[in-house]
Formats: sequence, C-alpha cells, structure tokens
Amino acid sequence: MSRGKTAIVGIGEIPTGRHPDRGAISYALEAARLAIADAGIAKDEIDFVIPTTAVFSFQFSNELTTCRLVEELGLKSVSANATVFSGGSSSTNALRIASALIETGRARCILFVHCDKLGTGVSAQGGIDLFSTAGISMEWEVPFGQHYSTVAALATQRYKHETGTTDEELSAVCVSNRKWAELNPNAFFRKPLTLEEVMASKMLATPLRAKHSNMLFDGGAAFVVTSAERARDLVPRPAYVLGEGGVVTHFAYHQEPDLTRFGWASAGRQAFAEAGIAPSDIDVAEIYDSYPIYQLIAMEEIGLCARGEAGAMHLRGDTWPGGRLPTTTDGGMLSKGHIGAGGSVSLLVEAARQVMGKAGARQVPNCRFAVETAVGGTYMDAQVTILGNEP
Amino acid sequence: MTGTAPPAKPRPVVQPWARPFWEATREGRLALQYCRACHVHVHYPRIACPHCGGDRMEWRTASGRGTIYSYTVVVSNAPSAFTADMPYVVAIIHLDEGVRMLSNVVGCDPDALRCDMPVEVVFERIDDEFTLPKFRPIEA
Repeated sequence: MSRGKTAIVGIGEIPTGRHPDRGAISYALEAARLAIADAGIAKDEIDFVIPTTAVFSFQFSNELTTCRLVEELGLKSVSANATVFSGGSSSTNALRIASALIETGRARCILFVHCDKLGTGVSAQGGIDLFSTAGISMEWEVPFGQHYSTVAALATQRYKHETGTTDEELSAVCVSNRKWAELNPNAFFRKPLTLEEVMASKMLATPLRAKHSNMLFDGGAAFVVTSAERARDLVPRPAYVLGEGGVVTHFAYHQEPDLTRFGWASAGRQAFAEAGIAPSDIDVAEIYDSYPIYQLIAMEEIGLCARGEAGAMHLRGDTWPGGRLPTTTDGGMLSKGHIGAGGSVSLLVEAARQVMGKAGARQVPNCRFAVETAVGGTYMDAQVTILGNEP
Repeated sequence: MTGTAPPAKPRPVVQPWARPFWEATREGRLALQYCRACHVHVHYPRIACPHCGGDRMEWRTASGRGTIYSYTVVVSNAPSAFTADMPYVVAIIHLDEGVRMLSNVVGCDPDALRCDMPVEVVFERIDDEFTLPKFRPIEA
C-alpha cells in the first residue's frame, strides 16, 4: 500500500439504539444512501460493494453476501459484491482491501456497509451466550466458562499487576468516552457519567464491573472509498488513507503471549512509518474500547503515551473534549454502543469525520491526522489506520 | 422442580490429534505434546508443530505445576451453563513446561488469589468421557 493514494470521501451512520420494529436491512440501506450522498456521487458510480457480517443472524448475513444490498439499492454498475469479515477489525480489513483494489485499478469506487441488530435481535442472556462461544475455542476455553467478560478481566488483572494502574484510572476511560458521547447525537448513552457511578456498578468478573462493559445495540454505518485523484474532485476535504499496520497474534486467548501488550507496538510502527508521521503528530485518536483495558493498552503501545500512563491521562482529562489528545470522540462502544463488527466501523467513520471536518460539536480544531485502532475476536489482531487531510 | 433447567455444560469438541490429551486426563495425568525437533512443549495440541511445522511430535506427561498468569472471579452475567457455578475462577495457567492453558482454579478462597501464585493440577471428572484439568493453589 502506498501513502495517500486512496481516500474515504463519504460517510453515513444511523444512531445506535434499540429498534425492535425495524429490520436490519433498513439500517444498512439508510447508512449506504447517506454515505453515497455524502460523497456527492451518483449511486451507479459504485462499482464494488463490500458488506460485512451481521452477527445477530446467519440468514441475514447470507443475504448481504448474496448481493441483497446491490439489488435493494438498485446499483447497476457493480462488478463484485464480496463480504469482508474479521469480527471487530472488519472495517480496517475492508478499507485495506478496498484501497488495494483501487490502487491496482480493479475498482474505482467502493461502498462498505455494516449493520447489526444485537440490541433487539437477541436477548440479553442470548448476547452473553453468543459471546461465550464466538471466537472462543470450543475445545480449550468454552468448557471452562470463558466469555467476553472474563477475556477482558484477564487482561485487566494482569495489566494492573504489571503497571500498578488503579481501578479509578481504569474507570476514567468510561467517564472520558461518555463526555464525548454527550456530544454525539448518534450515541445511545448521552447522560453524564461519574467515576463514582462506574466504580459502584455491579461486579461482573473481577476486576471488571458492569459499567466497564460495552452494551449491545442495533445500528449501522457505511463509507465510500475512491482514489486520491477522484477524491479531490468530489469533496473539499477527503480523508486520505496515509498508513496502516496490522499484526495477527492468536485465535485462542490463552495463546497470546502478553495480555498487557498484544500486537499493537508492531502494528503502530508499521502504520506510522507508512504515514511518515510520529505519534506526537496525532490530533485525534479513535481507539477500540469494547472494555477500558483495551483503550489503555492500545494507546500506550502505539506510542501515544508511555506504558502505564494511559489511565492517568484519562483521569486528568487529557482525552476529554478540549483535552491535549481527544480520544474515542464518538463515545466508543462503552457509550455510543457496541454493534458487533460495527464497533470499529463507528471509530473509522468518526476518524474520517474528524479529518473531513464534519464532527460538529465534537470537532477537534485543525484536525490533520487521526489514528484509529481495531481488533477482532478475543483481541486476535491489532489493526492501526492513519487518516489525514492531505495526501 | 420448576422453571427451565440450565443448559448442559459445554463439553470439549475434540480434534482427533488431541485425543491423547483427553485420554490422559481420564487417567489423572496431564499430557503435553513435545516437538523432538524444536525441543519444546506445545499446548494446545496441534496437527503439526506450530514452530517448525514438522510432525516429530510425541506425548509427555507434564509436572502439573505452574503459576497463575492471570485470573478473574466471575460473580455475575455468566454464560447460561455456568450461572449455577458462580462465583467461579477462570485463569490462564503458565505451566512449568513453558506453555499456557486456560482453566479454572478450584478449592481456594477466590479473594486470596494473585498473579504469579503457584498452582498444581487437579482432575475434575464431568462424565465417562471427559475429565477436565483444573488447578488449585500449592500450599506454602
């Protein structure tokens, strides 16, 4: 991949929520139409469609794979419709593949679409049960009661042991992300949240509490990717793809050698080297936050702060609106809400939104460079994307 | 009895090359794969050595001793099949042979657990086919 050859030119997103009366397809179609309109293109300029999987329904996901979006939207110039799915890192992999297709001339204008219905498509216990097997080894972990709370708790416990980070610092991530969600009309949780409320919430799996946990919702988002040349003609401020890096570390969680670091350092080095900038150049960080621990680890390992310092940064307000390093500015999975693979779709869309100057009340002034991180499975990979407002 | 019975505990979905592991636990032994080319233990069992890709793999009986790399005490919102077990401890055990295993720590005061605490294997029979390796703290 080469720096600045492709760009995100259109984004679309529907508010995260609970919509029992709406079919998941409506989120996908609305998000896609918003993204196409935002790019200022005619629908038939789309020549390649990349849907990602909706975790709530195998039947529905198959419909996306078998070209339902192309037909419903009436797209007449599409050469291929191909699902890209890697759990929570699906958006990064879709952008990576889209950029490669465009750079090699295989496609000119690619539409990526995500939607899911985890808020109303499955029950609360159904969600817990779904995430007690999804991406977890049926031979070596499921029989011992592993599920997503224990996955996050195991990393949190070891990280606290090694860095001395306190429960207060960990909880400050939830408070910081909520401050951004208060400013985001697409977020589900928009009431102020205090440190005391987080620390008094129900214990799930020590030291992880209920308010340290994401919650599942319905939602959807989409973006349009094209070449840098085309992007300049379409919109005043495209979000150029400047760098990306990735490391796949494991499938079974216990196989990860270091639950306090994962693969972030290498992924970050790759992305910053390609972008030709340093972590200190970053204006806004959109960090995958399914649980607070992952926001802390990724920030430290990609070089936005020193090891063991990320918690204190959140507590001090460095990451808040108006802070030194605005972080997870859409509210993240902790406050905007978790919509399956959509966690990092939201963050990538928000990174593009900030770079494009369209973030409204959340807009970071003079935003030149955004970094976004994504993870799939039980933190099986570390994916880093850097977007910028100049190629 | 009223209400719906909780779903049965998920039993391991066994791959053919892992059968010796489960046969050993039935006999009260912890067995690990060992690569005779790389001179390292491997867990979980693989179809071939994940380091060299070769198939000079043999089974060796492990010490059953290790330390807690990390742990958590599940007190609410467990998967359906495990709600009756709460509180229960999920832990990643670093075995003395240099490999890691996910398991449960049993027979202990959960509040007394800490990272790097020494543990030893115990065997918990769940039915005629499966015995799960679990761990308990080694008394100082």
